[in-house]
Amino acid sequence: MMKKLHGIIFSYLSNPDLRELTIHRNTCSLPYGGRYRVIDFMLSSMVNAGISDIGMIVHANYQSLLDHLGSGKDWDLSRKHGGLRILPPFGYAEERPGGIYRGRMDALAGVRSYLANIRQDHVVLAGGDLAVNLPLADIYCQHIDSGADITAVCTRHDLGDARSGDYFTADPDGRITDVSAHTASPEGLASLEVYILSKELLLSLVDHCDAHNIPSFTAGVLQAMSGKLNIRTYEFEGYAARLQSVSGYYARSMELLDPAVRAQLFVPDRPIRTKDQSNPSTYYGPGAKAVNSLIADGCIIEGEVENSILSRGVRVEKGARVSNCVLMQGTTIHAGAVLKYAIADKNVQVNPGRMLMGHSTYPLAISKNETV
Amino acid sequence: MKKECVAMLLAGGQGSRLHALTSHVAKPAVPFGGKYRIIDFPLSNCINSGIDTVGVLTQYRPLELNSYIGNGQPWDLDRSDGGVHILPPYMREGEKGTWYKGTANAIYQNLSFIEAYDPEYVLILSGDHVYKMDYADLLRRHKEAQAACTIAVLEVPMEEAPRFGIMNVDENDDIYEFEEKPKKPKSNLASMGIYIFTWSKLRDYLIADEADEKSSNDFGKNIIPAMLGAQEKMTVYRFRGYWKDVGTIDSLWEANMDMLSTDNGIDLYDPDWPIYARSPIRPPHFTGPAANVDHAMLTGGCEVYGTVENSVLFHSVIVEEGAVVRNSILMPGTVVKSGAVVEYAIIAENTVIGEGTRVGAVPEAGGELGIAVVAQNLKVGAGAVVAPKAMITRNVKGGAVK
Repeated sequence: MMKKLHGIIFSYLSNPDLRELTIHRNTCSLPYGGRYRVIDFMLSSMVNAGISDIGMIVHANYQSLLDHLGSGKDWDLSRKHGGLRILPPFGYAEERPGGIYRGRMDALAGVRSYLANIRQDHVVLAGGDLAVNLPLADIYCQHIDSGADITAVCTRHDLGDARSGDYFTADPDGRITDVSAHTASPEGLASLEVYILSKELLLSLVDHCDAHNIPSFTAGVLQAMSGKLNIRTYEFEGYAARLQSVSGYYARSMELLDPAVRAQLFVPDRPIRTKDQSNPSTYYGPGAKAVNSLIADGCIIEGEVENSILSRGVRVEKGARVSNCVLMQGTTIHAGAVLKYAIADKNVQVNPGRMLMGHSTYPLAISKNETV
Repeated sequence: MKKECVAMLLAGGQGSRLHALTSHVAKPAVPFGGKYRIIDFPLSNCINSGIDTVGVLTQYRPLELNSYIGNGQPWDLDRSDGGVHILPPYMREGEKGTWYKGTANAIYQNLSFIEAYDPEYVLILSGDHVYKMDYADLLRRHKEAQAACTIAVLEVPMEEAPRFGIMNVDENDDIYEFEEKPKKPKSNLASMGIYIFTWSKLRDYLIADEADEKSSNDFGKNIIPAMLGAQEKMTVYRFRGYWKDVGTIDSLWEANMDMLSTDNGIDLYDPDWPIYARSPIRPPHFTGPAANVDHAMLTGGCEVYGTVENSVLFHSVIVEEGAVVRNSILMPGTVVKSGAVVEYAIIAENTVIGEGTRVGAVPEAGGELGIAVVAQNLKVGAGAVVAPKAMITRNVKGGAVK
């Protein structure tokens, strides 16, 4: 069945409010949840729904994303036919040198030749900046059964900063009657910005918006077409988080310490796949302590860790104390150092005896490869 | 395409002394060290040594081993030229199919596999040992000595030598005598069961050995003595480092405990010599608000709410609040319920240790080690007591079990 659905992931999104966390990467390759990059969630949601062909639209700052994805084999996307395709702005860059995509329709127009060659009848459009485990097979079924032109996935729960998202008002039947964007007083259902529609309709919408110079999917499709097209909601009940700012990233990371949140993201039948790094187990030395923490493989912990999230290969030396922190891959907290309410990016070194402290609403962020 | 060296990995071992753990799998597929199976060590050594063509000879309970090795991708052995190949015994036209009669016969039955790569050298490995070795260094020794056969040896304490196959060597480290488990050993150089042969030589001896009806078709018993008898140049490669045959429950337990020691001589965290494994997709492990994790190894999918000390946990192990696990090995998917105490034990895959149960015990002062073993997919009922050294292969309702 899922041979009928094609995936497109907008992987060029960068949020300036993520500051030092996105100097070396865009939002999609931001480490999240110990061993993952944010993109893993949407990519796995697609693969778990049986989608075998996925196009990933990239624009700038995507070296880290390419390193992570490789050939796509860790997601079973290294295929003879189809599989993972990275779509850089090859055509677009000539037309608008130095310009970033102004919106999703702009990005889709930039890869129109790829879209035209899609071999499936339907396409799911999604962002790569969402931590969510979506049942896309169910969403596709609803799309077909309901006869909708476009199915838009949304949630009643808080997603993040309202002003950066779309909100839907729907009639009791689930048909969208109004779409508000970038509003300070949101009403209705928050959009996950995941849409299913036919390839045919997608191509006609891309051409229409291109011809009328409308770069935005929200303005050009959702708002302009909600009267003409049957656009219906799919209300997703589970956990979803958009990572938009440093403090938001921190808060969303800490939510993972709640077993109920993990149960919604790490569904055994729909596992979140990521790059395999062949790490050994995490080693706890004599006298180590680890309480209420989510810890990936390959760490060596000889000090104390509390209420924290540790990525692969983190070292916490003897006498070091880490609490309420997010430590990314390869970071070392040396002997006797104390770190509280902090986000340490990859390969950060906190030297012996240093003491660093942020606050839960304003966590201290330490950039990649820095030594404190 | 021609390969300089092809590795043949003998993975048919039944591991009968581990029986509660090997009733479903061959010994090389027994879980080890938190993330691995024993066969990951020789396979990873191959790829790290630059050997990209490996034949894995299976026979006993091959299903799980076959699916574990798959296309060899975790070890970078998914190749269009070479790579890893599973080699089971097979039928030939005009005769009945036979099992591999012995280690030498297993290689003999796969002559055509080896010939397809036209190698200069063939490396014979066993899937039963935990060690890191640079086979390129072994091959260098073999070439420098211009030997027909080079055997990797470990210097063992003299009092332990009678347990091993012992190589007696001259001043050039060339072998003049091989003694299997000698009562009065003349040297302490124990064979590690790792051989490198010049292929043209080995080929001749394998064919001659197969023609000899009285032969038991074994490397140690037949091929090596025959080559020595014919004055072939045979030498040793002295290995220094961690090596363990995990053939018994005690040695399997000890070797796992060795991984918890930082100076064990086999650094699993060494990025220059990684040990690869096929790992299931699991989220990071979680330590609960009241968890007490002290001197232990934990991996993906584990959730620890109770106490874990001096123990190795494989993926997806759950230790509930109030449960205590000490000096034990918990294989993938085991659950230790609240109030249970597991000490000096090995619990196999997906077994559930019920509430308030006691499995194993601390050896008495001066007493010998006694490891309790519970086989896979079992339920040990609430309140049961499983004695040290017990080997449980059926569900236990409750009460004392020896």
